[in-house]
Amino acid sequence: MVFEVKNIRKSFGETEVLHGISFQVESGKALGLLGRNGAGKTTTIRILMDVFRANSGEILMDGKPFDRSKYQIGYLPEERGLYPKKTVIEQMIYLACLRGISKKEASDNSKKWLKRLEVSEYENKKLETLSKGNQQKVQLASTLVCNPEIVILDEPFSGLDPVNSQILKDVVKELIQQGKLVIFSSHQMAYVEDFCENIAVINRGNIVLNGELKEIKKDFGKGRVIISSENYSLEELKQKCESIFSQMVIVKDIKKDYLILELKENYKKNNLLEEVLKTDIELEHFGNYEPSLNDIFVAKAGE
Amino acid sequence: MKKFITVLQFELTNYFKNKTYITTTLIIAFIIGIFFTLPRFIDMSDFFGVPMKSLEKEKEEVPEEEYQKFALLDQNGYFKEQTVLKAAFPETKWIIAKNIEEIKSLVEKEDVDCGFVVKSTTELEYYVINKGMMDSNTETFKEVLNTIGRQIYCQKNGLDYESIQKAFNQPVNVKEQVLGKDTMKNYWYCYFLIIIIFMMIIFYSNMIATSITAEKSNRSIEVLVTSVNSNFLIFGKVIAGALAGVVQTGIIICEILVLYKVNREYWNGVLDMFMKIPAESLITFAFFGLGGFLFYAFCYGAVGALVSKTEDLNKSTGGIQMIIMFVYFGVLMQLQNVDGIFIKVASFLPFSSYSAMFARVALGKVEPWEVIVSFLILLISVIGVGILGAKIYRMGTLRYGNPIKISQALKTLRQK
Repeated sequence: MVFEVKNIRKSFGETEVLHGISFQVESGKALGLLGRNGAGKTTTIRILMDVFRANSGEILMDGKPFDRSKYQIGYLPEERGLYPKKTVIEQMIYLACLRGISKKEASDNSKKWLKRLEVSEYENKKLETLSKGNQQKVQLASTLVCNPEIVILDEPFSGLDPVNSQILKDVVKELIQQGKLVIFSSHQMAYVEDFCENIAVINRGNIVLNGELKEIKKDFGKGRVIISSENYSLEELKQKCESIFSQMVIVKDIKKDYLILELKENYKKNNLLEEVLKTDIELEHFGNYEPSLNDIFVAKAGE
Repeated sequence: MKKFITVLQFELTNYFKNKTYITTTLIIAFIIGIFFTLPRFIDMSDFFGVPMKSLEKEKEEVPEEEYQKFALLDQNGYFKEQTVLKAAFPETKWIIAKNIEEIKSLVEKEDVDCGFVVKSTTELEYYVINKGMMDSNTETFKEVLNTIGRQIYCQKNGLDYESIQKAFNQPVNVKEQVLGKDTMKNYWYCYFLIIIIFMMIIFYSNMIATSITAEKSNRSIEVLVTSVNSNFLIFGKVIAGALAGVVQTGIIICEILVLYKVNREYWNGVLDMFMKIPAESLITFAFFGLGGFLFYAFCYGAVGALVSKTEDLNKSTGGIQMIIMFVYFGVLMQLQNVDGIFIKVASFLPFSSYSAMFARVALGKVEPWEVIVSFLILLISVIGVGILGAKIYRMGTLRYGNPIKISQALKTLRQK
């Protein structure tokens, strides 16, 4: 399955909040929808789920208009919420039946997912008696209870401790391995980096970066090197680079352990290395810059 | 349809498992149980103001020391013999006073319940500390004085009082044959059923609205509307509320009917006027009552979707409540004039026909075509309000913050 969002626009009153969102994702892969608070991630997801109607644009599945009724979709909304006064199993079965599966299957699936998410002991407890983290796990279990082909998770990691985050991370990896189509939004770049092959960065209602994460990283690191010295502090090294190598490089950033330098046109890594070796700088690190998703996100979404 | 049944089942189970619902049903059933079996054990004649079977059966002589005490100042000596007085005021001990001051003093010290000063057959003074709502002593005494007056007149004019009395008070046997409707008999059950449907609307519609607002408040609404058609959700909720209401009211009415039938002898048929309801009235009540209930339930459901906190609900339902109250009091006040223009107009309006048309069928003149047209208007309105309610419900999803006004919601719907 290839899921495509094309040029989605959405206005609330006179204000346009999405200015033409487009991205693509296919089965067996996960798309990480990234963006700062208020960038438009949740609105985009809500349009995918038909909670809001887009003013224009298309949502396609295998090139045809996306008919939600033909697919089982597991949706975890950003606004978490189930019935606090109902028992866990009762509401999971209800939600599964609402999505069209039989009561027996709903019951079996509920038990399976509660066990997988390590909350099966709360099966017959009222939701309100559970901790926030466990409530979130129950909500995730009810998202997956209908054995969905498409999984849409809005900020699934928020509110989870590292152990629970790891469980969720494993579950998402399993879903990807099972060939599910996964779309999720998150602020936790480490998780996105871990299992997303594709990302789409939304900034102020626009897609500012979209594509395969590996390629994006490669592109973003192209023409950049890292450098650190044993006899100069990073600040001193920065000043030195700016005075001696200003023709060849621009100092882009100071990280904790190294400087990031961007090579100017017509200069290569080796040219810089040759020049550095002519100076009194004793190299500690010198090499290709491999950006983290966090760096890319800050660079793109912080613009 | 399967999903609609799922919603209906879930919502209905919620009602049947709801502690308030169960407790209310049990408490009302218990109170009714006690009330309807009470005449078996105690005399309730005073409660109803009419003699009950239990009283007739087991009437015991009241001991003289428990007689009520009345004071009397008889300035003209009409009551040297107290035969007439004793007949009019049984179980009463009369204290003869010498003057008005003594009467006042006896009443003030509460040595007597009240006091009478008879100045002539046409002039009477009555002394009492607090006059009760049901105090008819002066009326009874006036009758006594009239009798005395007539006796004196007959004596003066040489007439035989007894024969005149007999001639003037011939017993008349009346056999009523009501060919149309007996308004007197139908009035009370009509009154009673209008109160029942009013209470059902207020109680259950509020519960429906609360259940919808609670889903917004606990944020489960987003999961729900993305899992199932929102029409199924609101129709399921409203119909479940209606069924829960019908079941609870049905249990209570059945209990009343059974207990009254079992204890009717002890009740001396006092409540027959509430129980003997003609089939046509019952059918009208069932159809119009249910229609009116659904009409308001959908209105409340839509309002519930416009509010995100249950504490804001009362403020938003105030407008609908005003209409319900206006219809309720308007129809009850016009029950003695059911063929008047107010009830006639109200019987065709969807928000009032549930009680007005029922009142017309029970108490007034109404043509079958009027009932059919009115019901069709109600039916179409219920469907219309249902669809509109579902749209408002869908539109109200994720609209948190201050309650949205209905006018604003309708405007938003028109823009879409």
